[in-house]
Order: sequence, then C-alpha cells, then structure tokens
Amino acid sequence: MRACRAVTSIGSSVERTDSAAKVRGETVYAIDRIEAGMLHGQLLRSPVPAGSIIRLETARARAVPGVRAVITAADVPDVLAGWFLRDTPLFARKVVRYAGEPVAAVAADTLEAARAAVQALELVLEEHEAIHSIEDALRTGAALVHPEWRTYQFLPGGEWPRAGNVATRSVCEVGDVASAFRRAHRVVEDTFSSNRQFQAFLEARSAIGICRGGRYVVHTGHQYPFNVRDRIAQFLDLPQSWVRVCGHALGGGFGGKLDYGLEPYAAVLSRFAGGRPVRLAHSFAEDLAAAGPRDNSIITIRSALDASGAIIGREFRADLDNGAYTGEMLAMPGIAANIAGAVYRVGAARVESNLVYTNTPPTGAFRGVSGVAMYTALERHMDHIARELGVDRREYRLRHLLAPGDALLSGQVLPDAGILREAFDAVERIAPWAGLSNRRQPWRGVGIGACVWVTNPGPASVTLKLNEDGTVAVLSGAIEIGSGSFAAGVTQLVAEELGLRPTDVVLPEPDTDVAAYDSGSQGSRTVRMIGGAARAEARQLRAQILERAAHLLQAGPDDLELGGGAVRRRDAAAGQVPLALVAAADLFQAGPIAATARYAEPPPAFDPTRSSGALMPAFPGVSYHVHLAEVEVDPVTGTVRVLRYVVAQEVGRAINPANIRGQIQGGVAQGIGLTLHESLRMERGHCVERSMATYRLPLSVDVPDVEVVLLEHPDPQAPHGIRGVAEAPIVLVPAVIGNAVADAIGQPVHATPITPEEILRLIMAGEADPVAAG
Amino acid sequence: MIELRLQLNGRDERVAIEPAETLLDVLRGRLRLTGTKESCREGECGACTVLIDGQPVASCLYAAQAAAGRRVETVEGLAAGGELAPLQRRLIEAAAVQCGYCTPGMLMTLTALLREQPEPTAAQVREALAGNVCRCTGYAQIVEAVAGSVLPAGPCGRAAP
Amino acid sequence: MSTEFVSAGSLGEALDWLASLGSDAAVLAGGTDLMLQLRRDEQRAGTLLHIERLRELGEVRRSDALAIGALVTHRKLARAPELRPCHGAICAAAALVGGWQTQNVGTVGGNLCNASPAADLVPPLLVHGARVGLESRARGRRELALAEFLLDRRRTRREPDELLTEVLLEPVAPRTADTFMKVGRRSAMEVAIASLALRLTLAPDDATITAVRVATGAVGPVACRAVATEALLTGARLGDAIARAAAAQLSQEIRPIDDARGSASYRRAVIGRVLVQALDDCAARIRARRQRGHGDDR
Repeated sequence: MRACRAVTSIGSSVERTDSAAKVRGETVYAIDRIEAGMLHGQLLRSPVPAGSIIRLETARARAVPGVRAVITAADVPDVLAGWFLRDTPLFARKVVRYAGEPVAAVAADTLEAARAAVQALELVLEEHEAIHSIEDALRTGAALVHPEWRTYQFLPGGEWPRAGNVATRSVCEVGDVASAFRRAHRVVEDTFSSNRQFQAFLEARSAIGICRGGRYVVHTGHQYPFNVRDRIAQFLDLPQSWVRVCGHALGGGFGGKLDYGLEPYAAVLSRFAGGRPVRLAHSFAEDLAAAGPRDNSIITIRSALDASGAIIGREFRADLDNGAYTGEMLAMPGIAANIAGAVYRVGAARVESNLVYTNTPPTGAFRGVSGVAMYTALERHMDHIARELGVDRREYRLRHLLAPGDALLSGQVLPDAGILREAFDAVERIAPWAGLSNRRQPWRGVGIGACVWVTNPGPASVTLKLNEDGTVAVLSGAIEIGSGSFAAGVTQLVAEELGLRPTDVVLPEPDTDVAAYDSGSQGSRTVRMIGGAARAEARQLRAQILERAAHLLQAGPDDLELGGGAVRRRDAAAGQVPLALVAAADLFQAGPIAATARYAEPPPAFDPTRSSGALMPAFPGVSYHVHLAEVEVDPVTGTVRVLRYVVAQEVGRAINPANIRGQIQGGVAQGIGLTLHESLRMERGHCVERSMATYRLPLSVDVPDVEVVLLEHPDPQAPHGIRGVAEAPIVLVPAVIGNAVADAIGQPVHATPITPEEILRLIMAGEADPVAAG
Repeated sequence: MIELRLQLNGRDERVAIEPAETLLDVLRGRLRLTGTKESCREGECGACTVLIDGQPVASCLYAAQAAAGRRVETVEGLAAGGELAPLQRRLIEAAAVQCGYCTPGMLMTLTALLREQPEPTAAQVREALAGNVCRCTGYAQIVEAVAGSVLPAGPCGRAAP
Repeated sequence: MSTEFVSAGSLGEALDWLASLGSDAAVLAGGTDLMLQLRRDEQRAGTLLHIERLRELGEVRRSDALAIGALVTHRKLARAPELRPCHGAICAAAALVGGWQTQNVGTVGGNLCNASPAADLVPPLLVHGARVGLESRARGRRELALAEFLLDRRRTRREPDELLTEVLLEPVAPRTADTFMKVGRRSAMEVAIASLALRLTLAPDDATITAVRVATGAVGPVACRAVATEALLTGARLGDAIARAAAAQLSQEIRPIDDARGSASYRRAVIGRVLVQALDDCAARIRARRQRGHGDDR
C-alpha cells in the first residue's frame, strides 16, 4: 500500500505531513533540544528495593565544582501525587519502596559534574525484607508495601475497593457460577503467567524545566501534556495554571510516555538553580530499569462445560503487578470483566482482578495494557478446551462466538458482534485453516484467536483557526506520537471538511497554556475523538468562511462550496475566492476566523451493578479482530520462527489504509517481541536485563510481512464511522503464537515470553530418549 | 581540546573536540547536527548510523578522530540542494516513516546498500537492515520502499461489508 | 583525566607507541568492543592507540599457510574467497558477528584480543588449528597457538607492548568439512548463548572418523576445544549411537554458567543437540562431494 498525494483524503493513503522533515533529519525531538545556559540534571536512585532512609547528607555533593542545586524530599511539599490514586512521592522521604526510586536530584554545569555530585551524596539505608512477587504480596500476613494505604486519596472520590497490598480489586458476577460448576460435564482449568515488557522507545525520556516568577515551564516529548501538567501541580501543591507544558516530537511512546517521567524533577531543579533551565535525560538502559513497563501477571481460568462442550460457567482471576506505586494501572482490573466474556459465550461468570503492590519499579501502560495478558490466557485456554473435547480449534471457536445482540458481562450489548464471524471468514480466505492445521509438517504449527477491543473515550477539545494565507491551524493538547493519527488522520478529516490539501493543515505543537484540556494520544482515541472535535468545528469554521465569502461572491452561503483551497459557487458560475482572500477580507472589521469545539461520546449502555472497582466499566468504540499465526520450531535449539501472520481487523472506516497497515505491522512486531524475544525479569527487586543487548528487540529478519484484511462497518456513533485502530494489533499476538507453538510441539505453553529454554525442556520431556539429557 | 578535520557531507569541516570523543557526540553536540540520533549507545540499534567512506558505521562507538581525513556522510547530506533524494521520497511514499526516530539510521544503511546493490531483493534488504532497530513500523514498509511488495494479493485488501 | 588518542600510520609506529605506553594504551581497531567497555567503565585507558590505518594488516594472504591479517574486518572475512572452499565455518562465523555496522569495522584481531567467552570467531579458528602472530619492539615476532593465547574470560597472553598482527591457519586434509553453529534467540545481532564449530575428516569409507575437532563458545569462561569429546569420536564409525554418546560427553565437558542470556542447564542440553546436527551436516557434505566425483578434492 503506497502513500499518495491525492487531494481528497478520506480513504486514501495520503502522505503524512510530518514525513519530509523526518527523512531530512530536521525534526527536532525532545531529546535534541537545548536551551541557552542550561544545566544538566541527574537523579540519585535507591539501590535497594525496600528500606528506611537513615541519613541523606548533601554537603559533599553541594561542594562539587559546577553544582548549582541539590534537592531532596525536604525541599518539596510533603504530598503524594497520582493519576487516580495519590500514593506517589516525588522523592522517597522516609522509606524507599523500589530499587531505582528517586531519592535526590542535582543540577550542574556539566553532566560529569552532575554525576560526580550524585556519587558524592551520602545515602544510608536500612534494608527491609522486600515483597518481590505477586504471590509474596498476597500471602497472609505479608508485610505491607504501603502501611498507610488507608490515608491515600482516591481522586474520582468516594469509596474504592482496595486493602493492604491490593491497590484495587474489581469483581464481576453474572448468574449462578457455583451451580454451573456443579452441573458441569467437564471442567477445564489453566494458569498462565506473563512477564513485563519495556516499551523500548528509541528516543529515551528527557525533559527541560524552566522556573521563572514562580511559574514552571516544561519541555518534553510526551503523549499527554496535560497529565504532566497535573502531576507537576500535584507534586508542588500548586494550581495547574502555574505549570505550562510544551509538547514536542517524540521518538516513540506506546504508552510509556503517558505518565510523568523526568519533567517534575527538571522543573523543581530549575527553581533551586535560580531559574536556569535544567535538562534531564535518560539513557536507554536507565529507561529500561526506571519505571513504567507492561505489568507482569498471573491469570487463572476455569471453564465449566456442558455435555455439548458449551461453556456454561467461567471463573477468571487476574492478579496484576502494580509495582511500588500506582499510575494508570488502577484502571486495569476493571477491564477483566468485559474481556472475560468478550468473544465467546460463557454463561455464568465470576471475574476477579487484583492490582497488587510489590517492591519493584512501578508498572504502567504499554499498548494493549493488561488486556494482552488476559486475551493470551483466554485464547490459549480455548485451545485447551478444544483439545480436551477433541474438536478442531477453529471450529470450536466458531460454534461459540458471540452473536449480534449478545452482551458483554457488563451488560453492554454488541449489536454488531456478527463482525467476529466475518473476520474469521476473512482470515480463512487468505489462510485456509485446514491446509495449515492438517499439513503436519514436522515442527510447524498454527494458532488462531479473536478479540474485542476498545477506543479510549477521553473527551477532546480542539480549536481551528484560518490563517491569513488560507491554511488552517489545529490547536490541541494532543500530539502526533508517530502513529500518523495527527499528521494523517486528523489532518485528513479537517482537509476534507474544508476542501484543503493536507499540506495546508498546520499542526502546532501542543501547549497547555493555549489548548483546552485533552486526554492525550492514548488508546487509539486520537483520530476518533480529536477528529470528532476537529470535524465539528471545521463545520463551524466552514460556516464562518462561507458567510464571509458570500459577500465577495455575491451569493448566499448556501450557494457556495469549498474545494481546492478556495470558495466557489455551486452553480459553476465563474469566479472563486482563495481562502487567503477570505481570511484577509474584513479582517480588520470582522476579525479573524476561528472556532472551538468539544467532542465527547456518551458511554454505551451497561449495567453498573454488575462490576465493582472498575474505572472503565464499558467498552466504547468497540472493534473486532481475528489473528492467525504459523510458526516453525527448531527442535535442536527450541527457537521459534514466525513464518506467517494474518490479521483481519474491523476499522469502521479506513481513513488512511497505508497508515493503518503500518500500525498493524508495528503492533504485531511488538507482540512478536513480547512473545519470543524480549524479557524483563525481576530478581529480588532488580532488573536482570540491563541493556539493549540483553533486552532483545525484534529485528528486520525476525518479523514477517503481516497479511492484512480491513473490514469496514462504520460505527454509527463516530465521525466517519471510525473505530480506534492502532492499539489493538498487539493484543492477540502472544495468544496465537502460543497456540501455534503448542500445536507444533504437541504440548501447551503457559508462560509469556515463550523461551527456547522452556520449549526445549518440553520437547525433551516428550522424547523417548532425549539427546544429551545432560 | 584538539582540532579534528574531516570531510562531512562533501564539505571540509574543522571542529575542536576532546581527544577520545565519539563521532556521535561530535556530530550532535559540537556541530549541532542532530539528524543522527542517539539511542542505545551500545552499537545495538543502528539509530546513530553514519557512512564512513561509504560504509555504515555505528557512530556511538566510533572515535571521532578515527574518522579524521575520511569521508563522512550523515542524513543531512542526503537531500542535495534541498531536493529530497529518491530514497527519501520512496520512504515517504511507502508510508515507512512513523515516529521517524530510526529513519536517519535506516536511510544511511539503505543508501550504502543501494550503491552496492541498486535492485536488492526483500531478503537482501532485511539482511542489510538487521543492525537497524525500528520499534514502530515492524519493518515491512521500510523494506518495500526499497524492494517493492512481496505479498501475493496486495497487502491491504478490503472485505466487502 | 581525559583519554588521549594517537593514530599509527605504520606497523613500526604502532610498535613504538606500544613500547613507550605499554598497558597505559588500549589498542583501537574498529572499537566495537573497546569503546563500549570504556563507556561502561569496564576498562580504563590513558591513550587510545588507533591502528585502523595499518593497511598491511588488512589482507588475507596465502603463502605457506593461510594468513589472516589482524585488521581484516568481519565483512571481509565473511566473503574471503581464500577461505570459502575449506574454511567456510570461519566465514559463517564472521557473517554472524553483529549487523552490517559492526561487520564493517570489527576485526579478527579485535575479536581475539577482546577474548569474550562468546567470541564468534574463536571456535572455528580453533578447529582449524589457528596460531596467532604477535610482534613487539623488544622481542620481535613470536607465534602462539590460539588455544594457548586465550587464557580466561577477557584475558590473553598478549604482553602490553605487543600487537597481534595475524592469524595463521593449518592446511586442510581431503574429505574434510567444517561447520559453525550459533544458538541465539533472534536471527541476527545475538551474543551467542552457545556456539559450536566442528571440523570432520572421514576415511574413504565415508563413515570412519579419521580426524575431528570440536570447539565450543559461550559455554565456559573461554571458547575451547572439547578434547574428551574429540577422543571419543576419533576412529569411531559415524552413526546415531556414537553421535549421541558424543553429545552426552560434550554436555558434561563444557563449563557453562547461568547468566542473563541463558541458563547452564539449557546450554548443556542444547550443545549436545547442536553437535549431533553438526556431525550430520558435515558428513552429508563430505559424502555429497564424493558423489559429485570430487574424490580427494577439497
């Protein structure tokens, strides 16, 4: 699918407007920025996973030549910040809760001086017994990671189900589960474990902070500038307007740049350094160890089957590792309920999900979030059921798919669930199952799976203004994070509405002083939500333009149309007026042409009494997906190669097919990394993998070309029928590759990543006389 | 500090550096040519790839003085006279640029490849790019920018509703 | 204290620098190992002695023996026409050292002097009986078997004033094939979890093993030959039983550790299986050549 320069946008693979600067190497990413007179910051991080701070002496650090500021918890308000639950200090004050937790920060003329100053800080800790794992945390009588958990403020207000080391518990019960299991003809049970994954954005996190006149200005490459603003305001106990966040081009985020990173430290250091700009930047290795990876989890599923093999009861339990502090993760347990009954009928169900504190670096959002581990468990479990019943794995799924009008466990009805079947059929046309599953080439296997995914519904607000040269600027708090959602998607929607070329739509970088609140680039919301707002006010802008042009063309506004960057009469009488002229005309009498609009969607109807502890109890902007993978296992070494990968994805309306394909290909590649190559293990509170050499990212020679089919059933709710596209492609990858590997070796796999060690162990266990049982 | 002389993007360049500085730090820090990116700083990711005498080299691990007197090319030198090079155009047209951070390194490696092999196969492109990590694209469109599509029936079909 | 940088224009100049600087100097060829270790503070150097300009060390020569100059890059080695006929395992290993960027500047000499336990070139050089040539102002030239040159993880017998100048290979007998296998998770860019090189010579009956060399990498502090396994195989009739016995022997003979890349038990399990595959591959190639009528040809 090649990008083109078409004028009409929707449905065309129009070139992104940010590509030219990127291929020239001219795009200035956050990490490329410098400020005149800037200082260099460094953090002192805790060397142990749990302990009390006995002493922290800063005198020697302050004496290092070139040092301009040294700050600790004593220099900032004694408050806790947080996205939903305020449990996080800026610096550890009396105790440290994870290896890597910031304890102090310094700013100096040079990086070398800053490093020397950090070395010169004297930190004396008394180490405690640490909680290293979910199991440790949940054991009766386990020490508390947060003994004062009761005092923490829950921001949405009111009561919230949490206790001790469980930061959130979400429970959903539908129907009589106990009875279903009593009646069951057969019960199938599985436990799955899933490990952490680092987002591995190639541009490490960085920030520049400047404090002048009590106001803080922060420059950062971030997916959610308003979140950074709010977090800094919390840490410093200030009104939000005292903080200004300027967002810049970022080299990858994938959810890892949704919460604060180095920004608050840069801001505070600047204040203590007399207002001089302070830059902090991580190395790749520091980002790897610091905070925010995909959570590790343990998921147990039990299914009660009747005599025909239908699932009449399901128990689903997911324990998710929060790490030491809570960020976005509070929203995760609540998605289990919808996922547990999302694709196949399950009858009665009890779903429980716990977010568990441990003394490890806090986990965070990464494409697909905890939904990846949940679907991995569900779909590997489905293969298990099919094998127990002796039914073909694809056939079993088709028999029990949700039908149109069926509901999720939350009670939310899916009127278009029939798309699931269509997606299975679409995959079948490209990759016929019988051929792949019966071929019986040694050491080859095939796997299939399906999911229902969501579009993040965070409301949007956008301002459009017509520039005096006829171009249009889109002012928003969201940003182009690389997916093309702005440089293509939103750009195309605006261009379409106003009859412009995409290159005439200007995207200034976000500035929280200028734009109204926006929920950031996350959860595939940008094109749908920002696009929705942009389209709404493009219409307002259009009305203003036509009204002003009406004078110039001696016609009523209804007789006019927009196209080719100009206004002309519909009746094709001669004469047209370029937008630049429209903007300039009456400028000093009537003023400039601009419009602002909000966009929000009412949540889908659901039954709020079914779930407790769910921050996002419904699935707005539903999309449907079926993935298939064919793999080959090397029986000598246990390594796995993905031979073929097929995706059928419901997108509502494909605004830019080439872009969508890029998101699918990229998401699958990240999923292959998660499943086969990447590994972020914790050992007694410390990361085992410390650099890119051991944190292996998938390479060009590791990833097949994904075969993609797009389904387009417009969502009646959304502008142009768009459904969120970019997040979902990772969700099914560990599930279908896991199923394919299990098919290839004839034994199930219960962990992610699937390591050659584990595969070789399974292969040798199955060999009558294993070679080198060593 | 000593003076380093090298031929950079066709021009003679002189810059004062510390004796053992890496070429990457000299390009980004001293010459403020930030098109060459810093990422892993371990020679694992290829984001810092430049050409030295036409060969791709990880500039994060290459001493700047080792490039003295040699021909160094960075991404800033590809667009001659401001016009995008054909390879740059092909990447744009193939929708192969997402966040764009790996793009300069990819461009340098691909430039070297195309000079040796004007019509590489997809397999040859993948081999050549094994040292250039991309986290966004999953590589397929980058490979296609150079080698054309390999998928049988069009990579992005649409099913009738 | 800032590190200095000097660049030698000739072998003589390089040896002079080494004579005067000794262990204060770090020899810099492609730098892919050294620069990384300096950055990580795993090594300190007062002066970087840059030797990339020594063209005389950058060639593969065939005189009495095959000689590989210390500055031959991995890329050049991978494609060397002098090596492909009978020393293909060395080419295969060179092609697997990192990506294009590493292969362009990384050198044989650097790989050997760095002496990583996982150095890809070492096992195939060992099975070909490699010897290294070292030169110094003070003592002139000396030669050492590669196996003796490598002492331990990251330690060699190179004296601080010596430069490794070349690697010399044995001639190869007829009816011989070699192979190199590398175990890693991805298809490229891997530091080996385990590696193995095999050189196999069969008698005219195509079954009796007249000579065999087995070398492993990344499964001990230094890549080395598996002499007990070799002894078990030498003179034996190649077949399933002896292959399995050799595999079991090799699993016991290696000294692997648990590290971030792999566990000791995986390394033990996999190295035997890799040996069986390598024996199969080499035997098949020897027999195929025979059938194509090459007879005693190499």
